[in-house]
Amino acid sequence: MSSPLTLAPGPATQRPRRVLLALGGTLILATYLFLVVLQPAEIAGGVGSTASLVSLFGFLGGGALLVAGILPTLSTSSLVVMPLGIALNIAIGQIAGSLGMQIYLDAIGTVLVAVLAGPAAGAATGALSNAVWGLFNPFALPFAAGAALIGLLAGLAAKYGAFRRVYLAPVAGLVIGAIGGIVAAPVAVFMFGAAGTVGTNAIIAAFRSMGDVLLVAATKQGLLSDSLDKIVVFVLVALIVYALPQRAVRQFPFARNHRVLGARSAAVAPGPTPSGPVTATPPRGDAAPDA
Amino acid sequence: MPRRRTLDPLTELLAAVLLVVLVLVVNRWEFSLGVLALVVLPAVLLSGKPRQIGVALAVVAGPLLISSLLLHGLFFPEGVSVLATLGPARVTWEGLTFATMMGLRMAVFTGVLLTAAMTLDIPQLLAAMTHRGWDRKLVFVIGSALGLIPHVALRAGQITRAQQSRGLVVGRSPLSRLRALLAVTTPLVIGLLTDASERTSMLEARGFSSSGARTSYLTDTDTTGQRATRWVMTGVVLVFSVVWLVVT
Repeated sequence: MSSPLTLAPGPATQRPRRVLLALGGTLILATYLFLVVLQPAEIAGGVGSTASLVSLFGFLGGGALLVAGILPTLSTSSLVVMPLGIALNIAIGQIAGSLGMQIYLDAIGTVLVAVLAGPAAGAATGALSNAVWGLFNPFALPFAAGAALIGLLAGLAAKYGAFRRVYLAPVAGLVIGAIGGIVAAPVAVFMFGAAGTVGTNAIIAAFRSMGDVLLVAATKQGLLSDSLDKIVVFVLVALIVYALPQRAVRQFPFARNHRVLGARSAAVAPGPTPSGPVTATPPRGDAAPDA
Repeated sequence: MPRRRTLDPLTELLAAVLLVVLVLVVNRWEFSLGVLALVVLPAVLLSGKPRQIGVALAVVAGPLLISSLLLHGLFFPEGVSVLATLGPARVTWEGLTFATMMGLRMAVFTGVLLTAAMTLDIPQLLAAMTHRGWDRKLVFVIGSALGLIPHVALRAGQITRAQQSRGLVVGRSPLSRLRALLAVTTPLVIGLLTDASERTSMLEARGFSSSGARTSYLTDTDTTGQRATRWVMTGVVLVFSVVWLVVT
């Protein structure tokens, strides 16, 4: 009989709420298709109200449903690393600004969580990151679904080996960045008329001066800057996780079971190299990140 | 002096969101301007920290408004009535109108949401979420992230200074900047992950993953009246939106 001071034993993790996940994914997809395929005609001249409402609630609601479906399934080790990812997204974005970088770097935390804890945790980190950021910068809110997609895809890429070799990470970054850019463009156009930083708007202006429609110009700009941004982010995250002590990586079942970092994250029995001095020396000479 | 809080944070947030919805639905510049002048401005002035909120609004929305004006004011190929031609750029009346409309919408969007968020008491919000029975994992992630942000920023600053004292110089080339970023983020992430793994075992030891009911140490600011108000507000805005979108 359990003592009244202990909590009743309950299921540690529940089954994923597939209905919520399916609804969230469908809502996001439907919103995107509505915006891009039907392309509300009003955007050509005026500022559409239906399009902006649909993009705000479709993407935000879809992200919320995804988070609601994912969260109950996550283990404590994944949940604890998610706030870290969210804080990193926001704080490194600020450092990047203070160092005078031209790219955003606001997905480092999302990709890091995705690599260590898996696609579900990555997606939830991306969506919640923009929700928390919305408290300081409301412009981040409507991009929550795009950030969730980045986390999901980064986790899948890690699962299938994109982080086992350092030269594979930028390739994955290029592809995922391009997808992210395509998804984010309609949000930027229909909510804010594609307003961004002076740098990104200069690119849009160049395409506009060649006569492109705003959505096309913003999509081309998204393809350019988001791919570049994600290439840098993926390389950075790869170099960071290679430098992590093995003990830190192995506490995550996802990284351990899927051998996300190749030989580095393999589940080896505590053998000749215990948790001694934490250095970044890889166990074998393969895929050593150059310093 | 911060104003005395009488409303539940969720009621305030919902009111702000519904106001944004109304602005998007009505989609008239007169209404947007009215909300800005008659709701946002008084709210900022009465918030007890008008300067802080004003600075935040300027920092967040200012650059976007300027770049939007430059983008659409100078490059709007759909524009017909050209006011001036500057090389490849054409200042058109349609472009300027579009920039103004979008700018007004962005200003209202930021004004309403940022004022609501900055007058919000974060612990109160988290307590309200617990009282309403929101997923405790969600409450933990959001609360913990909000608490971590200043910590991460502080630690990043310390690591940057430590690396600079060891000879880190940020040059102009992208490669040098990337190396500097790596020199700061790697120790930052390692330290944070170590903290996180300690937190995992501490949380597990305290029954975080159990499914029992939680106790909140803050009193519930919600009332039956507010709960009813929230439903009524949502219903009214929903009905109004449908009617407005069908009629216009």
